[in-house]
This record gives sequence, structure tokens and C-alpha cells, in this order.
Amino acid sequence: MTGKEKVLAALKSKGIKYIFGYTGGAIMPVFDEMEKQSELQFIMSRHEQGAAFMAQGISRGSLSTDNPQLGVCIATSGPGAMNLTTGVADAYMDSVPILAITGQVATGVIATDAFQESDIVGVMMPISKQTYMPLHADEVEPTIHEAHYVAVTGRGGPVLVDIPKDVQNQSVSKNYQFDVQNYQPTLPGYCYHPEPEREPLERAIRLLNKSERPLIFCGHGVIASRAGKLLQKFAEKSNIPIAFTLHGLSALPLDHSLSLGMMGMHGTVEANRAIVEADLLISFGMRFDDRVTGKLSEYAANADVIHVEIDPSEIDKNVPTTVAINADVRRTLQVLLEDPMLTCKPRRRWFDKIQTYRTVMAEEQQAEIDKGVGDTGKLLMKTIVSHLSQVTKGKDLIVPDVGQHQMMAARFYNYQTENSWFTSGGAGTMGVSLPMAIGVKLSRPDERVWSINGDGGFQMNIQELGTVMEHQIDIKMILLNNSYLGMVRQWQTLFFDGRYSGTPMLNPDYGLIAKAYGIPYLKVNKVKDITPALEKAIEQKGPILIEFVCDPTEVILPMIPSEGGFNDMIISRPKETASKKIKKGEK
Amino acid sequence: MMRRAILAFMLDRPGVLNKVSMLFRKKMYNVDTLTVCSSRIEGISRMTITLREDNIAKVTQVIKQLEKFTEIISVKELDTNKSYWREAAIVKLEVDADHLKTFKKRYNFEVLDQKSEETLIIQIAGSTTQIDTFLDEVGREYIIEIARTGVAAMEK
Repeated sequence: MTGKEKVLAALKSKGIKYIFGYTGGAIMPVFDEMEKQSELQFIMSRHEQGAAFMAQGISRGSLSTDNPQLGVCIATSGPGAMNLTTGVADAYMDSVPILAITGQVATGVIATDAFQESDIVGVMMPISKQTYMPLHADEVEPTIHEAHYVAVTGRGGPVLVDIPKDVQNQSVSKNYQFDVQNYQPTLPGYCYHPEPEREPLERAIRLLNKSERPLIFCGHGVIASRAGKLLQKFAEKSNIPIAFTLHGLSALPLDHSLSLGMMGMHGTVEANRAIVEADLLISFGMRFDDRVTGKLSEYAANADVIHVEIDPSEIDKNVPTTVAINADVRRTLQVLLEDPMLTCKPRRRWFDKIQTYRTVMAEEQQAEIDKGVGDTGKLLMKTIVSHLSQVTKGKDLIVPDVGQHQMMAARFYNYQTENSWFTSGGAGTMGVSLPMAIGVKLSRPDERVWSINGDGGFQMNIQELGTVMEHQIDIKMILLNNSYLGMVRQWQTLFFDGRYSGTPMLNPDYGLIAKAYGIPYLKVNKVKDITPALEKAIEQKGPILIEFVCDPTEVILPMIPSEGGFNDMIISRPKETASKKIKKGEK
Repeated sequence: MMRRAILAFMLDRPGVLNKVSMLFRKKMYNVDTLTVCSSRIEGISRMTITLREDNIAKVTQVIKQLEKFTEIISVKELDTNKSYWREAAIVKLEVDADHLKTFKKRYNFEVLDQKSEETLIIQIAGSTTQIDTFLDEVGREYIIEIARTGVAAMEK
């Protein structure tokens, strides 16, 4: 057997079904081998970045299924490998396990600036969990097994295996042996602590029982450890409200009576006000990112903090903890739920207070949604997302791109299905939605997947319409087209005196683009047409693109300005400035 | 700023040094010294890094992030009062041999080579301060070339 055969053997033994990627000189041997087998399905992306996001889609989507899969992407050396980097960095920021396999120039010419050579191990090192370069065919199989292990254990992350072309073609040694069944990587220092320790747990329970105004934080770790239902039970049992991070959304139904919705920069008033007032934060699987905390010096000044987190380097990184529990969220919740010391308090005053926060923006927001159009008479994104939520009863899988529409999708879709929200949070990579939705759909073929895009991000990986066309991937693509880079425009409205520098977007005719790819297309201008269009998309077998003509002046509120505190929260739109600029600048 | 030593043990794999140094760059430290050597156990390297930092929380964060690397086995900060920090230096001097001899009592150095009456190569080992003071006392103007190893450290 040769190195290239070992690559595929290792992937098959790990239960991999799909490989996303793009061929090229230095990876040709592996591709040649792929052609000889049928177990692994190769899906050609139109750009390597798309392949990395498709791989993420597989990992993220299958996380909550009975058969979690590691997303695999493959590319050639040099530019091919370099094109993977954004998708890999994105996976690193969001703790998503993926395996990136790249071809490398032959060992004899490495570091000679050979054709299509790049030091991809060096490039990927700071943006991945681990990088490998096997230098002999004998090393290929153990390397891929170790890479898989590192990617999926503890806090997940992307791993790179860079294989020189001669190693792919090289035969393994005569006495080569590898025990697939009993393989255990030798990594003496690599350990993670899934089990919570007793002592901090007891202190945590004492704080919980004592607290008058506690608040649970549901982070990505809840979804990653498949602990949504347990968290819900824990919240119900202890009668504590829950606020979600962007990545914590869809861990449990968003309209649960204890849910306060999303926290942070574009979080709800009730979630953010509750954080200010809380005397105890119990955070599960999150990292207190700056978009969550705002100004750190003012953050949760009145609260003790219990931090349950699998990655010890996140504990005390941004917010000092009172009790640190370095463990798996799921295991911690299991232990907490069984603990007889855990009590339930009515906390009426706390819930009354929260109820008053809930009403702050509720009426005007609902009025806006009902009206459905903004000052320009064009559609509001929040209305479209609300209609989508109603039409699908909040049960579908949502893959937004990055920007204003992403925050609308986070806020106005009523998530009911566990692990149904897939977004680029840490890196905030535009162009993620279309390729990631492809991966999510392949990982959950029986569920409906909506790729929600702005006109900026959609064009960043628009070439993946080719992949959709080729494999007739049944994703429903929504394009919220406001002819602007909406989020940056919003900042320009609020903080840059309405100077719209670099944000107006001259768009192509998306109907013609859809036609070129043979994808059905609808265009919606009126509120009354929103729901029928969405229903049409559901009836339609296979992919469809719906373009909604949106109001560029719409803003997502509330908003806590970058580096601002919760008291700086903006809850109403500065209408005059916005409308004045509209007359000057709009088409 | 306070000088600190971080001691790490790690698998002797290619790229580990790169990762460690990249982390210090990312955290915007200009490392004072960095030494790597093999340890008592084959396949495991020992690395000592010294840097300047007053904020203990920042040092703790660096240590935790070092621990995250899959190759790292253990990391700790060495307490200045409970550890020995030593380095060695090879110094080429243009100095009167008799003048040098006057330091022999106070400093433990060895003459490796004497090219002429006035050109010598010596080696000296000790704490960073000891070596610095020795060089100051002999006179830095006499130094032609100097090679220092950087700090190796061990707990008492």
C-alpha cells in the first residue's frame, strides 16, 4: 500500500462520508486514488475556501446526530492550501473540528520555492489546533488518526495534514503495521478534563442556592457537548432565566419561558439588562468574547461568576471567575442535576424585574415587523425573518452569512430544533453561508436548510452556486438585498455621521445569475408576497433563490457600541440623521 | 518590569519551537532569553523562557495557552526565590592577562584559549547578574565578541 491509499483508508475507518475540495498538481495522487473507490464521496467546491466551509457544515450539522462526522476538505499545495486558510481560521475561532488535507511539493524540493510551494504548516500553525507533515508513507495513517483525535476531543478545532507528493506515492515499509481498532495517540501532555471536580461544584451550588438574581449563560459548549436538554432541565429545576451567546442559540427552544434571548452587542434588552442586575452568572461553555461583554471594566460588576468550560485557558481570561469548573458542560450538568443540594426558589422580584425589561422595545419592534417596510418603502429584514420563522414554525436549520442580516436571523427566528443555527461568530467571515449550508444539508439531509445572505456576503462565495447546481443540493437561499454592506452602513449611520464610505454595492442581476446556474428564482418587493414566496420555496424540490429587496436604512437594535458598557445601549434609531442621508445618498 | 522564567517540557517534535515562539509574539512579548535542550527522558525537550512582565494574570494566561499545545507536557512559572537561574558565556577579550587574573578570586571563569598576550577566550557561568557584573568590572570596552547561552533554570 502507498501513502495515498493510507489517506483514504484512514478516512474510511473514521466513518468519513464526504470530502470537499479542489484538485491540483501536488494532491493528484490522492485524487487518483479517490477515483478508484466509491465509499467516500468527493464534492468539488469552486474555490478551496468553499470546501473548508462545507467541511465545517458537516461537522457542525452532524454534531447533534447519532453519527457525528468530521468535515474533511482537501486542496493542492501553494494557492490551493492558502485558499483554505480563511475557512480554517474561522473553524479555529468557533471551535469547529475539521480536517484539512493538503498536497505539498515533494520532500526533495521543499523550501526551494518550488512551483506552487507554500509553507502551509507555518501558515496554519497559529490558526489551527494542530498541524502535521508526514515525511514517510508509514506515518500517513497514524498521523490522520491522531489528527482526527485532536480535532474532535476537548475543545474542537481544525487540524491540518500536509502531505508531500512523493510521500503520497511512496509504499509503506515491508513490516508496516497499524492497529486501527486499538490505536491510541501518544500525547502525554494532551488531556482534557470532562469530569467536574467536587469541591468547586459544591461552592457553585452554594452560590446558586443563595442567589436572588441568578442568570444562566448558554454558550457554544452547550451545543458542542449536546447538552441543550440538560441545560433546559437545570434551568427549570433551579428556576433561573437563560441568556444565549450567538453560538448558544438553538441549544433549547428560544421561546422557552425562562429564555431572555441573545446577549451582547445586538442582544435583547432583557438579556443585557439582566446581566447588569444579576448577582450570579452561571456560564456554560463560552468565552466572554468582547461582543458579549462590551467594556470589561463595567461588565457584570454586581455578580459572582461560575464558569463551566472545557478549555482552561478561557477561564479568567476576560472575566474573573468566582468558581471555575474546568469540565465538559454535559458532564457538569448531569452531576448538577443529580445533586440533592440544588434548590429551587421562586425569585418573584427577579422575574418581575425581567418582565419590565422585556417590554422596553417589544411594542415598537412588533409594530416595525408588522409594518414590514422601512422609510424607503422597501422590505425590512426583521419582517422577512419573522415570516420565515412562522412559515417553518422555527423548526428549520438556519445558516446565515455575516452582517446585519445575521443579527436579524439571530434575533427574529424562533429556534425550536436543537443545533439548528450555524454561523460564523468569532471570525465573522463574510461568504460563509452558501458553502456552509451545503455541508449542513449533506449532514442533515432530512431537514430543511435555509441559507440567509446579504448582498455583500453572497457574492463572496457566489461561485458555490456551481456546487449547488452540480449536486442539486436542496438548500433554500434567501438574499436580503439592500444594496449596501448593511452592518458597516449601520455603524456609519450611528458613529460616522452618515458618511457611507465603501458600503454602497452595485449588484448584478441575481435573476440572471440564478438562471445561469439553472436555479429557480423569485424576487419579492412587497410584504404580502413574503410568505407566499417562502411557501413556494418549501414546495419547490431542490434549490431555489429568493431575492428580497430590502430597506438599506434598517438598523438592528438594540446595540451596545463597541467597547461601550451596557448603559450605553442604543434602543432607538436616530431617524433624522438616517433619513436626511437617505435623501442625499440613496438611489 | 519583573523578570520571569517559564519552564516547559514538551514532545521533541518539529515545529514546537515555532509554535511557542509564535505565541509569545502574538502576546506581544519580546523574549529575553530562550533555551531548549533535551531532558532526562528521550523524546522530551526542556525549554526555559525568560521575559519581563509585572501582571501575573497575563503570565498565567500565557502558561494556560502554552498548555493547550498538544505537544506540551507541562508548563510552570519558576519562583525567583525558589529556583536557580544560570547562564554561561564565552567571551573573547583583548585584555592584559594579569589584569584578568585579579578577578579570578571572585569569579569562576576558565581560559579556553590564549591567542596572544592580550587576546583570550574565556568561559564563565553563573547568574545573569554575576556575568553582567563580571563584564562591567573587567571593562566592556575590552570585549571583542561575546556568546551567551541564555538562561537555564531549575527549581531548588
